[in-house]
Amino acid sequence: MLRNPFEDWGFALWRVALVAGAGALVGLFVGHVWWGIVAALALELARQFANLHNLLDWLRHRNRRDPPDSGGLWGDMVSLVSRLHRRKQFHKQRILRLFRELRRSTASMPDGVVALNAAREILWFNRKAAELLGLRRKTDYGIAVASLVRVPEFASYLEKGNFGSSLRVRPRIGEGTCLEFQAMPYGEGQLFLLVRDVTRQEQLETMRKDFVANASHELRSPLTVIAGYLETLALDGDLPADLRMPILEMRRQSERMTAIVADLLELSRLEANDEQVIGQPIDVAALLAVLRKDLVTRDGARHSVTVSIDSPDGLMGDPGLIHSAFWNLVDNAAKYTPAGGAIALRWWTDGDGGHFSVTDSGPGIAAEHLPRLTERFYRVDPGRARDTGGSGLGLAIVRHVLQRHGGELKIDSIEGRGSTFGCHFPHLRLVIEPVALAADTRYSPAQDA
Amino acid sequence: METADLSQHISRRFNEDLERVRAQVLTMGGFVEQQLAKAVSALVEGDSTLGEAVARDDFQVNKMEVSIDEECSRILATRSPAAGDLRLIVAIIKAITDLERMGDECEKIGYIASRLAAQERPADKYREVKHLGRVVQNLVHDSLDAFARMDPEAALRVARQDRLVDEEYEAIQRQSITFMMEDPRAIRRVIDVMWVVRALERIGDHAKNICEYVIFMVHGKDVRHVKLEDVETELRKRGGQA
Repeated sequence: MLRNPFEDWGFALWRVALVAGAGALVGLFVGHVWWGIVAALALELARQFANLHNLLDWLRHRNRRDPPDSGGLWGDMVSLVSRLHRRKQFHKQRILRLFRELRRSTASMPDGVVALNAAREILWFNRKAAELLGLRRKTDYGIAVASLVRVPEFASYLEKGNFGSSLRVRPRIGEGTCLEFQAMPYGEGQLFLLVRDVTRQEQLETMRKDFVANASHELRSPLTVIAGYLETLALDGDLPADLRMPILEMRRQSERMTAIVADLLELSRLEANDEQVIGQPIDVAALLAVLRKDLVTRDGARHSVTVSIDSPDGLMGDPGLIHSAFWNLVDNAAKYTPAGGAIALRWWTDGDGGHFSVTDSGPGIAAEHLPRLTERFYRVDPGRARDTGGSGLGLAIVRHVLQRHGGELKIDSIEGRGSTFGCHFPHLRLVIEPVALAADTRYSPAQDA
Repeated sequence: METADLSQHISRRFNEDLERVRAQVLTMGGFVEQQLAKAVSALVEGDSTLGEAVARDDFQVNKMEVSIDEECSRILATRSPAAGDLRLIVAIIKAITDLERMGDECEKIGYIASRLAAQERPADKYREVKHLGRVVQNLVHDSLDAFARMDPEAALRVARQDRLVDEEYEAIQRQSITFMMEDPRAIRRVIDVMWVVRALERIGDHAKNICEYVIFMVHGKDVRHVKLEDVETELRKRGGQA
């Protein structure tokens, strides 16, 4: 395509010389040699201008026109430019194709995807996100995402910047749809936002909870009748001796079943509502004294129970729930600590908030069990635990109660030395004043109801 | 269109100030939307706790209004905005007043809902109220969307829907009168429901106002107390010129 440039340049120079010569010849005939040369060169110049004009014209409209057909140096220039142009077109096509492919593949994703910049403005989103969040292509680019997805929980989720967990919200209360948001930071402060429709999952979860609640509720009444008759039978003095043992055992098991059903009911009540409890001031010192008295009344002097109150502050919470959670911990400690052991209850506050702990001198729990301890019906030692009569739901209840008070349960244990169950409440939950005055009445179990 | 101006300020801080205050308005709007949804749900489901929560949380709406108002005054005083920016600030100051009123109406509904929850629920389970509630919720949602997008056409569309609410309101009113004549013992309850419906209708009006501010903000044209058809032809004429 490209000829030897020297040939071309040589050819062009020869051409100029030839034109000048021809002009001179014509001039010789007319009698004005110099005028002839000037006229010939002027014609040549005009031809060059015409070529230049053609080239410029083509460059301006090169997408619509074929390249001008001019030979020599001009032709070389045209072919060079058109080659560059073709190469650029090719790259552009390739990038466009890639981009289209990318867009099509994200469009087919089952989840919505929104890309946000550091100011949380929408950079881009796929079709599913548009459908789930009601976004509109083009007009919504550059608008802060919280301005269009105006769920207050979503705004605070973005603001907090704690993207380790996802967020589940119902954008429109009273309507079914439930969305799950998961943000993933990338680049310099940008965010990738995944949106998923979890309505179906939520429904299943609700169904499961409803089933547990209903089943426990339905089991309660027949159990009450059975337990009642067994109670009467067990107290009957005329009972044949060979029936006495089975009846007593049946009575024990029915009591256990009643306890399980009661715990299941309490757990499903706790699960039904995950909003934070507001509650009222609780006098923790009085509560711990009550717990200690209850335990001593039940078990006598089986363990030595000590209570230490290191802070006069009280706790803001639901008295019934807190009592149930603390009692579960105390009861657990008593069950698993052999006779003669020590149980210590402690309440203290510091910069982090308020803390309640139950420390026992029991056998302790192996480290591998600790993470699963608060699961329902989880048993460290399945064989042994049945004798103690627990429902296996106690710690799950404790965890839920603490969650609803913004607190958490921490378990430390060394095998053979004992365990410490700590309830940690945030600072916000503390009542920094003599609670005995702040609380309407001192804590009494009657408030449980 | 003046929205484009937002990116052309010499002072980037000014720009950020404007964007932030606009985002705050929409946060407030989101909260009011949620209050409205909760209030209607509290009434329809007979959930007294939810109703009380709505009534209790209204103070947050008021707090947001005060804070945005202060921010706007500060921008007016320190930046002396002109043209489109000034209209944005003026529109925001007006819009938050409407949002605050909406919050008050929600509080009212929540309060009535918690009271009605204790009483026997009517056979139709407040179906009409639920329906009206949904229409009004959509109206509020769409008006805030138009505000976020600065979309005068959408605003006009939404403003026109306010008529639907008014018609629905009329229908429920007529129905309630029949109820009261049929069963005088229900009068107390029906009056309460009337208050709720009235509050919903007012919320619809406030949403319409917000739409009018959007048109004002973008076109610089005050369209209050003007028939919507006239507004439409006017806007179309302007669109043709541009």
